[in-house]
Amino acid sequence: MTTSTPAPDTTRPVTTASDRRADLPPRREHASRSSVWFTLLRHHLRLLRGGATAWILALTGISVGVVATFEDRYTTQAELDAFADLEGVPAFEAMLGRLVGLNTLEGGVLSRWGMFGILAAVWGMFAAVRLLRGAEEVGHLEQLRAGAITPRALLSSVVAALLATHLVLAVAIGVTHSAAGMDPATAWALGGAAGLLTACFAAAGTLASQLVSTRRRAVGIVGAALGISLGLRLIAAAGGTPDWVWWTTPLGWLGFLHEIDAAQLTVLGAYAVLLVVLLAAAFVLAHRDLHAGFLGSSDDTPRGAVRPIRGQASLARRLTLASSRTWGAVIGLLALTFGLLARDFSEAVADLPTMVELADAVGWLAIDTAEGIVAYTFTIIALLLAVFAVGQAVAIREEEASWRIEHLMVRPLSRTTWLATRIVHSLAAMVALALVAGVGAWAGTAIVGTPVSFVDALAAGLNTVSVAWLAFGLGIALVGVVPRLTAPLSYGLVLAAYLLDFVGGMLELPEAVLELSPFAHLASVPVVEMNLTATGVSLAVAALGIVVGLVAFRRRDLQEA
Amino acid sequence: MASTKVPVVRFDETTKKFGSLVALDRLSLDIDQGEIVGLLGPNGAGKTTTLRTLLGLMRPTSGRALINGVAAWDDPVTALAQVAYIPGDVAVWPQLTGGQILDLLGGVSGGIDEGYREQLIERFAFDPSKKGRSYSKGNRQKIAVIAALSTRAPLLVMDEPTSGLDPLMEATFQACLREAKQRGQTILLSSHILSEVEAVCDRVAVLRQGVLVEHGTLADLRHLHAHTVEATYVGTPPQLEGIPGVQDVQIADGAIRLQVAGSTDALIKALAAAEVPSIQLREPSLDELFHAYYEDDATERASA
Ligand SMILES: Nc1ncnc2c1ncn2[C@@H]1O[C@H](COP(=O)(O)OP(=O)(O)OP(=O)(O)O)[C@@H](O)[C@H]1O
Ligand SMILES: [Mg+2]
Repeated sequence: MTTSTPAPDTTRPVTTASDRRADLPPRREHASRSSVWFTLLRHHLRLLRGGATAWILALTGISVGVVATFEDRYTTQAELDAFADLEGVPAFEAMLGRLVGLNTLEGGVLSRWGMFGILAAVWGMFAAVRLLRGAEEVGHLEQLRAGAITPRALLSSVVAALLATHLVLAVAIGVTHSAAGMDPATAWALGGAAGLLTACFAAAGTLASQLVSTRRRAVGIVGAALGISLGLRLIAAAGGTPDWVWWTTPLGWLGFLHEIDAAQLTVLGAYAVLLVVLLAAAFVLAHRDLHAGFLGSSDDTPRGAVRPIRGQASLARRLTLASSRTWGAVIGLLALTFGLLARDFSEAVADLPTMVELADAVGWLAIDTAEGIVAYTFTIIALLLAVFAVGQAVAIREEEASWRIEHLMVRPLSRTTWLATRIVHSLAAMVALALVAGVGAWAGTAIVGTPVSFVDALAAGLNTVSVAWLAFGLGIALVGVVPRLTAPLSYGLVLAAYLLDFVGGMLELPEAVLELSPFAHLASVPVVEMNLTATGVSLAVAALGIVVGLVAFRRRDLQEA
Repeated sequence: MASTKVPVVRFDETTKKFGSLVALDRLSLDIDQGEIVGLLGPNGAGKTTTLRTLLGLMRPTSGRALINGVAAWDDPVTALAQVAYIPGDVAVWPQLTGGQILDLLGGVSGGIDEGYREQLIERFAFDPSKKGRSYSKGNRQKIAVIAALSTRAPLLVMDEPTSGLDPLMEATFQACLREAKQRGQTILLSSHILSEVEAVCDRVAVLRQGVLVEHGTLADLRHLHAHTVEATYVGTPPQLEGIPGVQDVQIADGAIRLQVAGSTDALIKALAAAEVPSIQLREPSLDELFHAYYEDDATERASA
């Protein structure tokens, strides 16, 4: 009476099974090993192509611009020799690295790489982390790792793609710089060093991507590594530190490049060794669980009390705070460091009247006083704040790109309210960071006994806010109008504006072009008063950008990544 | 026979821990060539972890997970050359077209059957010319399904392969699985859709909090569980107290309804004492079967 069906026979005769197996097409197992690898290499190159092209063009372009205009700019030997007086001056070596041979074309170009090298490092690090931890975080690596490939071979295909872009940078610099009249050996040494420096930071990003389980933390680790490298460069630059201290930081090695022959090979060799060590460590750690990192438990249960998030304002505060903390620490420490060094810097410069004049000419006023150094410090803080500002706009866009925003937008919350809430929090964060920098600079100068007045230091901080708000306003306008271009355009604009101010003078661009950069209008507070007109214009443009962003955001479709 | 042959899939006391959480607890399970095995279990039971561990995407904390006798963690190239995988969350590259993504995934699997892929694209009514970002959820799923099936890999591992597919596409997918089975391909899939498992799987394995709680053919599982008996009687109701395996007895107005687990012999003898004009014995539906597992899980979790 039971109606249950009998169990089907699941054991089949072996002969039938193997016959069936013959129906399957032969798998090209052995032939395919390398073809799998090359498929992946092509894929990663395709993902890298756009960004790498932009970076290579930008880095090569600004650097070859320096080469091409060098002779026009410094016509008399006296001018060149005055320039050479900067060698060994802490303030300048802190910014540009070890300075030698500044009265030569090669020395002049190499000194600029003290700055350009930081940009190259940033590119290397972001590209690597995006391709590795970023891809893993969004789920792309799961499908690739399930292919006929080992985790290490997969990693090697990513690394090969990254290194290929660095090689292109090296060759581009070598070819263009020697063509533009730089000594070929130094040009190619610079190309090699620039490529290897980028590669080293990409390797650091590769390693960090194995260490921690989120893109954010990986960027944090490499960012910290970059910060430490810069910090060591500051120490090496400070008066009285022995020459070997430059060797403790990869950002310091570039300074040995112009000492022809053996030194060039030593520098390239040092980069190569660092690269191999970082990559080896990354490869050792690469065979690990998907979505896991070597550091930190994969058990993500928070320790301690969890603060409730009771609404979108509360969420906005939480998200803004999380990103501001790290930036606050970085900016505060930087301001503190410069404050601590301000006395040494200004006193060293005071002995070099030609240099004070030169600096004056490019807008760094009174750098023979602590106030002057603080003012100069805030030109760098202004750039960092602008980058932070743009990062805030990108983070807001990311909320939409990731589609997390859907949870909020299907609830009784207007788009304008949501965006405005985020905007207000970000604007406030920028003010807070500017004040932190002011306090840091004040504390530094006070500790070494040449205090800048507290109010002056805060004013120097607040002076930078208008540029940050301007960058943010433009970012928000992009979020509203061309959301998918928010990150590349807004970072690109900030960088372009800064470079325009930084190298535009050297390139002798027309005044009207130079003045397009908001950084050019930033007054050297506290040496002089805040430029109220420029600040007013910046704030007005920022407000316009925000309004455009708010209106456009309300009127357009939400757009995924 | 089976003992002399290496099973296509072998879990041997496979354990996976995340910190103190035991996501998979000493799983032992063999799958032979040509079988279709369904992995069932409530959310968080460890299905995805099981599949990822098998594929070497995660290292077993202890025990082994083998494909054709090879641990994918140790030798992924050998092990995975025979496997195609559909992940649980299909993430596509927003900037690549569907066709580019299919090429990429085919290349990474080490080769595909191009003709079959064209046929699959046709059957799944998939448009490969669009950018990844513009695909709907179901279309993203189709990319993974087509990429996996077109490899004709001897072993197909699928994590909720039909999630997001419409009923028509689901039917197409099931037809593809049957054809794969015809060709002797082995399939391990996880699913929450019981009718799908019932339609295509030879065997099911049920996980609960990382533990394999049930394993066998669907018929086996049904046998293990209570059948529903519905009968009518005339006159004095039959005496049904204390019969082994009988529970939930409801007797009223000439109708009897009860559950019986195990042998029905004692129950039938007891019923024979009364006048019983009609009787119906119904095996539990798969839904009923699994509600039992899932509810136990929910109550255990609630009390924990
Ligand atoms: N990377 C990880 N880190 C920490 N815990 C994890 C990780 N992956 C899975 N877990 C935990 O392991 C357990 C099993 O998860 P798994 O994803 O395998 O469940 P599942 O059966 O696939 O569930 P679902 O039906 O929701 O897909 C869950 O408790 C989950 O929280
Ligand atoms: Mg799952």
